[in-house]
Amino acid sequence: MKKHFQTTLSLLFLIASLTIFTSYTANETTNNKYSIKLPYRKSGLTERQAAAHLLGRFTYGATPKQIDEVVKMGLENWFTQQLDADVANDSLNNLLLPYDVFTKSNKEIVNTYLDGGQVRRKAIKEGLIPLDSSGKLEYKERKGMIDSFMKANGYKPVNEVERQLINQKIIRAAYSNNQLQEVMTSFWFNHFNVSLTKNNSVRFVPCYEKDVIRPNALGKFGDILLATAKSPAMLTYLDNFTSVASDNNNNSEEGSKRLRNLYAQQKMLTEKGDTGAAYKEILQRIKGFKNAQGLNENYAREIMELHTLGVDGGYTQTDVTSAAKVLTGWTIFPMNDEYGGGGIRKMIEKIGEEKFIQQGYVHDGDFLFSVNKHDKTDKKVLGNDFSGKDGYNEGLKLISILAHHNSTAHFICRKLAAHFVSDNPSQALIEKMSKTFLDKDGDIKQVLVTMVNAPEFWSKEALREKIKSPFELSISTVRALNAKVNQPYQLFNWINKMGERIYYYQAPTGFPDRARYWINTGSLLNRMNFGLAIASQRIPGVSFNLAALNDNHEPESAEAALRIYCKIMMPERNVDETVKRLIPLINDPAINQKIVSAAGKTAPPQVQENNTMMVEDNMMISDVGSGNKKVLKEKVGKKNNTNYTVQDLMVKAGDKSMLSQVTGIIIGSPEFQRK
Amino acid sequence: MSTRRGFLKSGALALFATGVGGVPTFIARAANSNKIVSPYKKNKKIVCIFQRGAMDGLMAVTPFTDENLRAARPNLFMTAAKASGNAALIDLDGRFGLHPSMKAFEPLFKEKRLGIVHAVGSPNTTRSHFDAQDYMEAGTPFNKGTSTGWLNRAIGLLGHEAATPFQAVSITSSLPKSFYGDNAALAINNLQDFAIQMRGNPMAANMAAKSFEELYDQTSSSLLSKTGKESFDAVKMLQKSDTKNYKPTNGAVYPQSQLGNALKQVAQLIKMDVGLEVAFTECGGWDTHYNQGVETGVFARNVNDLSEAIAAFWTDMSAHQDDVTLMTMTEFGRTVKQNGTAGTDHGRGSCLFILGNDVNGGIVHGNMPLLAKENLADGRDVPVTTDFRSVFSEVADVHLKIDNDKVLFPEWDGKKIGVMRA
Repeated sequence: MKKHFQTTLSLLFLIASLTIFTSYTANETTNNKYSIKLPYRKSGLTERQAAAHLLGRFTYGATPKQIDEVVKMGLENWFTQQLDADVANDSLNNLLLPYDVFTKSNKEIVNTYLDGGQVRRKAIKEGLIPLDSSGKLEYKERKGMIDSFMKANGYKPVNEVERQLINQKIIRAAYSNNQLQEVMTSFWFNHFNVSLTKNNSVRFVPCYEKDVIRPNALGKFGDILLATAKSPAMLTYLDNFTSVASDNNNNSEEGSKRLRNLYAQQKMLTEKGDTGAAYKEILQRIKGFKNAQGLNENYAREIMELHTLGVDGGYTQTDVTSAAKVLTGWTIFPMNDEYGGGGIRKMIEKIGEEKFIQQGYVHDGDFLFSVNKHDKTDKKVLGNDFSGKDGYNEGLKLISILAHHNSTAHFICRKLAAHFVSDNPSQALIEKMSKTFLDKDGDIKQVLVTMVNAPEFWSKEALREKIKSPFELSISTVRALNAKVNQPYQLFNWINKMGERIYYYQAPTGFPDRARYWINTGSLLNRMNFGLAIASQRIPGVSFNLAALNDNHEPESAEAALRIYCKIMMPERNVDETVKRLIPLINDPAINQKIVSAAGKTAPPQVQENNTMMVEDNMMISDVGSGNKKVLKEKVGKKNNTNYTVQDLMVKAGDKSMLSQVTGIIIGSPEFQRK
Repeated sequence: MSTRRGFLKSGALALFATGVGGVPTFIARAANSNKIVSPYKKNKKIVCIFQRGAMDGLMAVTPFTDENLRAARPNLFMTAAKASGNAALIDLDGRFGLHPSMKAFEPLFKEKRLGIVHAVGSPNTTRSHFDAQDYMEAGTPFNKGTSTGWLNRAIGLLGHEAATPFQAVSITSSLPKSFYGDNAALAINNLQDFAIQMRGNPMAANMAAKSFEELYDQTSSSLLSKTGKESFDAVKMLQKSDTKNYKPTNGAVYPQSQLGNALKQVAQLIKMDVGLEVAFTECGGWDTHYNQGVETGVFARNVNDLSEAIAAFWTDMSAHQDDVTLMTMTEFGRTVKQNGTAGTDHGRGSCLFILGNDVNGGIVHGNMPLLAKENLADGRDVPVTTDFRSVFSEVADVHLKIDNDKVLFPEWDGKKIGVMRA
């Protein structure tokens, strides 16, 4: 008896201490690993509201009941786990299996995925189709020949790369358990933007995201900067792969002027009939211009203006030109023998890799430092001296200087704060984050911790003030609905329509990260229509079960349904106003009946059966959800009764039901646009 | 006496009162305010078409008397001589000939409404589509960091606030660089989509529209509520007109193409008097490296589409022609010599077309030198003898009365060449 009492007592003690310990970890203490201490209570937020805010900013949207999970494990623990980005992702990895481009190297992709011109050239070279086949061959005949040529050689069309890239991103954003890593991958991709609009970059973009951006997304800034500088995607997108030492180039305004002068002098001499030594000299110099590749300042400018210092970061045009000289010879290791790529390979064969390195070349994966293209003069950038003899190390030194520069710290921290806190973050917050950036060697995790530890992150100016981008809106919808996405490209079409053609942003600036850019008249209507379309299951390949979201409980009334689904879709938000505005509409019996009868009269929507392939999207994963649709279609058939219950509205009218309509309005509502 | 206010109250309100949710707010606002900016004021309109991919200006408008060109393009060259059996160029002035597929342009040129500028382009020598389009749309050929587009800056220089959401409209699926910037600009791919939609269920769509309008009206985010208002105003304005069954004026027939549809929608917006002042659209397929064709083929199809669409637009404009100037642009031209695959590669100068009643038309402007190798840019391309900014700024100055070139084209202070009648 006594023993029993003791056991009970210790058990009670254990429970009590566990309870204390749990609340202690969750709310009050510093998490040791990253010193996370979230000051949300000072802003008057409850733990659940704080969890909702965290999920809104560091994920692509909360999934149903995710707030419960985060509160249960503790907010600080959840953030630590997201910073570590090592949660198992088995089901995601299964979903990603069809995207085989992502199992390939740059070299394999370049040599497999060809555009029309490349295929034709290869086919002509191999004598498969005649050189001047136009007019002699019917289009169909030629196309047949080319198709079988591609098949025989295992070539695939390059647009397959673009499609897989887009589809896998949507799947990852929707289903990755390491949400912060995915959010940061998008952030850095946009910061170090490359674009599918630039043809010679396209095939490098999958590896750019997979090997350059994602692994470094929560690492040190200097590492991601260097990795992008050496990546084929960036080297082609901003042209540095062609930038070589030369005085004779007409790619700059100055050079262009010099060339125009030469032409003018030539013209003058021609008119005079003078074809002597002076004339020949001018011709020679013009020829030099024509043949010379030269310095290309494109990347040197953008690495300072857009990637590190910022446009007002304190560099001059001379710094840009000198930086371009420092980076001459930073190029791509040839991936095949086309375009003179055989030269380097033959050279290595001839002298051996060791001698090749001794000569000053650097071969690192797809990257090549081509010492014979490097400008060997001495340079000065941002007050630092660069010896022309240092070759590859000059570039490393430059990138390290840029990565650790005070202007860079402020520029990057401002961008991070604008992304995660508010469009116009306070200077005080930027200063705090910049200090961490400089003290901790550009450690992105530490900078993010400083940000969430700051009261500014939890302030009124921050809460609900960020507007979701179209991509964020779509993915947060998928997550809030627990939807299955079988045809991600269909979602991409909507994302594009709403104004965010992911991976195709032409300018090196990336998409502007502010509400003003996303919200305009046309795009806002498309957001509302997106809500209505997805909720009524009119987006092919996106399926979900609204009743299951409420554990298959039937709401008591339409009004109850409205309140319940508002809470499910927008947890911890004040939805009173939304509910108040929508109730009169929902309770209008005339409207209800008309909607249902209208839905009954029109043919069922053309939902794509999941076992048929879309032309635009052959990346089908499985035939999830087809059973549901058959049931719905059956029920739509029985519609003679005019006394509708809520259940009728929800089920019998199928995907045109009042419930789906309400859900659509919630998705298109102003509250759901905010994160 | 019928004042403008009176008109707004009687006419305009009556016009819109029957739409979902009633009167557009800007009309109500205008009716209750003393400083009325009427959406019906006849503002000038500019329509820009970007030909993406770099049009071969030498094939569109050929200097057919130049033997150098004949020699450089043995398979692509056409003459204006009718005897050759093939379709001949349309002789414009004894020196330049229009591609036969552009015969829709012939009467416009003869009436002196259509002007052509040749050897026009960017002073930046880049031959990258990406850079060149970017430079041209930003209007700053030596500055890649420019965040605003020249047409957006033009909107800011019009000297009046936007009266409606339709002041600047791009008929494209996303906003083009030309429209980037601080001034509101709208991208619409299809006017028919510009509504709250529930397929096959207008009743539900109506209810959804009402709900959305209520919700956006009450939201605490001023950006969302303001844009929401604009959106519903725009929807209501469009709802009054039957965008689906639009009938062009004067029997104008638009080609069934992306460009044809885009220009048809621009015409609709102009005729609906919804306050449009700057319109933009684009067409592709100009990157003719391979088999570009001669009197038939891909190039011929493209210029046919371009000229037919523009001519139909002009016919359709009828009573509005005095208000409208249309201009084409392309990022650069193509090599003088044909390449190894019966096409042409990236070059420098190309040509552009300007159409309007205030255009100094019937003339091929610019300075096209003889295409002898020594006259070519880098020994291969049509030299750029007219900076695109010269033409763009002249059109903006004369037609839209924008005289602040320093803001419109900050790096430029060159000469204008008289493409417009001042």
